[in-house]
Amino acid sequence: MKTVALIGMLALAAPAIAGSQGRPSLAFRGDAGFVWVRSDSAAVGAAGAARLRGPVLGGEGRVVFNGFAVGVGLLSGTLQNGDQTVKRDLIEGRLLVAARPVPWLEMSVGPFVRAYVTDSSSGRWVFWQARARVDAPIVTASLTSYVELWRALSSQVNLAAGAGRVQGGEAGVVYQPPQRPFRLRLAYRVDDAAVRGAGSGSQTLEAISVAIIVGGW
Amino acid sequence: MPRATAVLAISLLCCGVPVLRGQSGDLLKRGVQAYQALEYDAAAALLEQSLGRDSTTGVADSLRAKALTYLAATELFRGQRDSAVGAFRQLVLLNPRYRPDELIFPPQVTNLFQEVRRATRAIAVAVPPVTQLRTRLERFTARVLASSLADVAVTLAQEDGTPVRELYKGPVADSVVVTWDGLTAAGAPADNGRYVLRVTPRTLTADGPRARQVLLEVKQEPPDTLAWPPPLTTPPLLPEQTSSGPAFRSLAAGLVAGAAAVALPSIISQGKDATGARFAVGAAVGVAGFVGFFAHKPRPLVANVRANASQRDAWKKKLDAVKAENATRLRTVRLVVRAGPETIAERGSE
Repeated sequence: MKTVALIGMLALAAPAIAGSQGRPSLAFRGDAGFVWVRSDSAAVGAAGAARLRGPVLGGEGRVVFNGFAVGVGLLSGTLQNGDQTVKRDLIEGRLLVAARPVPWLEMSVGPFVRAYVTDSSSGRWVFWQARARVDAPIVTASLTSYVELWRALSSQVNLAAGAGRVQGGEAGVVYQPPQRPFRLRLAYRVDDAAVRGAGSGSQTLEAISVAIIVGGW
Repeated sequence: MPRATAVLAISLLCCGVPVLRGQSGDLLKRGVQAYQALEYDAAAALLEQSLGRDSTTGVADSLRAKALTYLAATELFRGQRDSAVGAFRQLVLLNPRYRPDELIFPPQVTNLFQEVRRATRAIAVAVPPVTQLRTRLERFTARVLASSLADVAVTLAQEDGTPVRELYKGPVADSVVVTWDGLTAAGAPADNGRYVLRVTPRTLTADGPRARQVLLEVKQEPPDTLAWPPPLTTPPLLPEQTSSGPAFRSLAAGLVAGAAAVALPSIISQGKDATGARFAVGAAVGVAGFVGFFAHKPRPLVANVRANASQRDAWKKKLDAVKAENATRLRTVRLVVRAGPETIAERGSE
């Protein structure tokens, strides 16, 4: 499956690079947000749902060609439970190749890594995502809403149990202040990763974030 | 035998009148030749015969006038002055403006004619066979002729005698042109129908001229009006306010994205409790939708309103001009006047 995804990425990226005219442009996004993670397990002895939350910071950089983009993103933060007895670091990394066949639709593929790190161990998810995002202008060029859905083409997790279906979505609004070189984004996202096997259950991540975007599409 | 009779009858019907006319012309020609050969008795007989034939066949007035002139000259040279006067009198009554050719006839003939003409008071009326006119703007013309000074009234009446219009009242020394603008005395265009144009002496005497009349067939033709200018539409009119489409599209974009934010957890991770963060984002996106709706709310486009106003003014002026032109055309009905032959009016109708 990884091979298929890689071929897809190359297929998207190759015409972008080959057909690019003029210099590519750069785009950056800086995020600040708050994350809630809920882990449900049906394993014998599991004590219900585990809930963690905490602030995160992240960013993404893109190189934009004619209608195509290649990007890398990183997000990191520390999550704790309610009584602060459990503490984990959340780290997410992402590579992507994106294309805009029409101005209101962005499609992208790429690998995604999410890790929950403690002093003694880390739980690491790796999956290949296919994403589709629809932009709908509210006030032309200055206020735009969007909805994005994604699903994992393949997934792995380094837990005893295997990874199941992984999918997610995001919705938000992007505001371009008049005569400013940046845009502001408010977004809400939710990801859900199913765990199969002995410790079957799921991990659900919700996040609300505010971002500043410079350049790009 | 019956077939021969039928052929003869058809031949007479088809060829009889031209044959008789040919005979009259031949008699006139032979009468003129006899006159020129100073054979006055023969000439008188031939000319009398040609005129006698004429009375039954209705030969042309020009030939009749010629025959009467030669007959009068013949009678004069035969010493039959009264007969000559009688012939000239017929000639004057036939055509008050006729004059014998002074290069052909000697002075004693022309002098006698003038004497008779002055003594014989005759009037005539000449009209074109067909006249087309637009009422008020164009005119039907009739020429009233008089052999000597006459005081006449020219009137137009319906065939049943109902007066329509008095066209002229006054003297006619030689001729006078009378015109009619196609209107009745009330100022309305004449209706379809038959009318009588009558020239009547204003002083009726036993030896005075007889009234003459011409039957006129009047027919109205509908006026050709202009088409109204096409109604103003968009284009060429410019839109006078922005479309409401973008406003509703903006609202829909905001509300759909906001609803998606709220509904995402139930779509992505069914059966699990989600935090209230989604409501904050959903509300913010929804509010953005309303902001977009009010930003794109339809508003008047002043420049277009101004441009359309001038277009509407120009269109209204054009419409008013067409209305005025059509009103004028409807007032000026087109008439076709067909004239019948001139006849002598009945005494009772004078």
